[in-house]
Amino acid sequence: MSIEWPSATLEVVQQRPLTVKNPKTWPHIHSYGGWGRFFAGLQERKILATRCANPRCEEKRLWLPPRCECPDCWHAMDWVEAPQRGRLYTWSIVKYPGELFKLPPDTPLISVELDGVCTKVMSWLKEGKPEIGMPVRAVFNTQRPTHTILDLAWVPA
Amino acid sequence: MIKFGPQNLRIPKFERPVYVVAGGLTDYRKRYPEKNTCQLCTEALRMAVEENDLKLDPEEVRRSVNWCVYSQFADHFGDQLLAAAKVHDYLGFDPLGNIEVKTGGATGGSAVLAAAQAVASGYASCVPVVGWERMDEVSTKVGNSYIASAACKDFESELGWMYAAYYALMAQRYQYENNVPRDTLARIACKNHEYARHSPFAQNPGKYTVKEILENDIVSHPLSFLECCVMSVGAAVLLLCDEPTARRLTDKPVQLKAIAGGSHTLRTADRRHMPILLLPNETPETYADYFGAKRDAWPGFSSFLASRTAAYLAYHMAGIKDPLEDFDLLETHDAFTISDVQTYEDIGLRPYGRGREFIESGDAYFEGRLPTNLSGGLIGTMHAVGATGIFQIVELLWQLQGKYDKFHGDAALWRRYGKEKPTDWRSLQVHNAKRGCAISHAGTGSHVTCAILERV
Repeated sequence: MSIEWPSATLEVVQQRPLTVKNPKTWPHIHSYGGWGRFFAGLQERKILATRCANPRCEEKRLWLPPRCECPDCWHAMDWVEAPQRGRLYTWSIVKYPGELFKLPPDTPLISVELDGVCTKVMSWLKEGKPEIGMPVRAVFNTQRPTHTILDLAWVPA
Repeated sequence: MIKFGPQNLRIPKFERPVYVVAGGLTDYRKRYPEKNTCQLCTEALRMAVEENDLKLDPEEVRRSVNWCVYSQFADHFGDQLLAAAKVHDYLGFDPLGNIEVKTGGATGGSAVLAAAQAVASGYASCVPVVGWERMDEVSTKVGNSYIASAACKDFESELGWMYAAYYALMAQRYQYENNVPRDTLARIACKNHEYARHSPFAQNPGKYTVKEILENDIVSHPLSFLECCVMSVGAAVLLLCDEPTARRLTDKPVQLKAIAGGSHTLRTADRRHMPILLLPNETPETYADYFGAKRDAWPGFSSFLASRTAAYLAYHMAGIKDPLEDFDLLETHDAFTISDVQTYEDIGLRPYGRGREFIESGDAYFEGRLPTNLSGGLIGTMHAVGATGIFQIVELLWQLQGKYDKFHGDAALWRRYGKEKPTDWRSLQVHNAKRGCAISHAGTGSHVTCAILERV
């Protein structure tokens, strides 16, 4: 019995030095684990944050992005709705985004400051011209959700 | 609020002195198909053992090695898991033990830290640190996407798939809080592109005006292409030894007085405020007027707690009282102009909010008070990520040994890399340099190391 040579051949990009093209296209099956609740919340137009449930823990503010466990005491956290109005903390417009970028060109990327939240959530501005300090409110993609952080955005309030 | 316990900021201590005796580099290129990764690492190692005036021949150096540390940022780029095992075998170090270190952009600095720990503890006496990155197998756009997968893929990466964007967010906030003129940022880029012109290793040298830097294409508002680091292929090697081995190998030993690491949240978003961690040259009065309507918290988006922590530990470890006075030269991780200004403050060259003065005063320039990134840095010379933190220390070593000209001014070395030595080449050797510092930096400040080298 003689085994055939494999039929799949690599594309030669150049001969010297010999350079070949290795194709790579395979999906990763990624679980958000406990953080899935946040992404599910976006579909109910809620921003779900977490707060440490340990009465002895000093951090009383909300975490957003949420953490299921507290980084200060490793105690389980409670899920709480975060405010949907805040202030634009900083912004940028990315002119040369990397591969996989799904937002339209010139979409402002922003960080948002929310009262009672100890972090500054990173997001994008769906309408208007970004300016540090401007009041913004949350909007949600529930029509055709991407099931990513892109399902949350902000508009001028 | 981050609170420290009594042992959290214990000053690290080496049980015995650690020396840096030799360094080697490749040149750095956007694409380098002529040589595979194993060959690049060999080339850097050969330079280290053959061209550093060692008193033992390369074979005797090989017989002295007893542990190896490897440094590569992203398996994605080379598309080869455990590439370190391949390199280790190729370099002929089997069956010695080895480890590979990964801390993002600070991988090189962390690898040197790991090697120093091995030597300082007595575990090893002669340790090559070998770093590389192979960033040319994919397009720039895919490369940026790979780098952005070192941001949080659940909550951040989708927002740009581009690391420059995460720095640009900090840049906007920094400028808002501190009113740093655009020109000042551009001058950092001019300086580092210019110093790269005198290095045969450099990938992106150039003579630019501030206007040209500012009118260059924007990558992510406000940062222009010429204000961002290059994406490189190349390798770097450093040889760390204990004192007896160092004395056997070289007449110009340089001591690694200190190296320390700090960290902070991978997501910039997650930074909480805390009181400013003061360096030896600062007091609470330094910041009496710092906080106000625009600057209401530290570190915020304007400062890197990881850099401050690394500097705090390393300065105490090496007995540094004032970095501006005590260092003769500095290598920063100038991935972006903005992060460079932030770093000047984090490591105490100026108080927070006044980093711009380090450039504007002329301090940061050759023949200034503390010449910075004479190597050309990441903006002008290279950012082959796993090699970068090693490259910085190699350049410091050569400066402290008085060998800048040997490794930058030799026309034959330029020809080795297919280049002509520029007719207006000038020596950037710092006269009588005794002590230098190198900052290796990852993420938006997720890992930072601070290394202090001293000629003995």
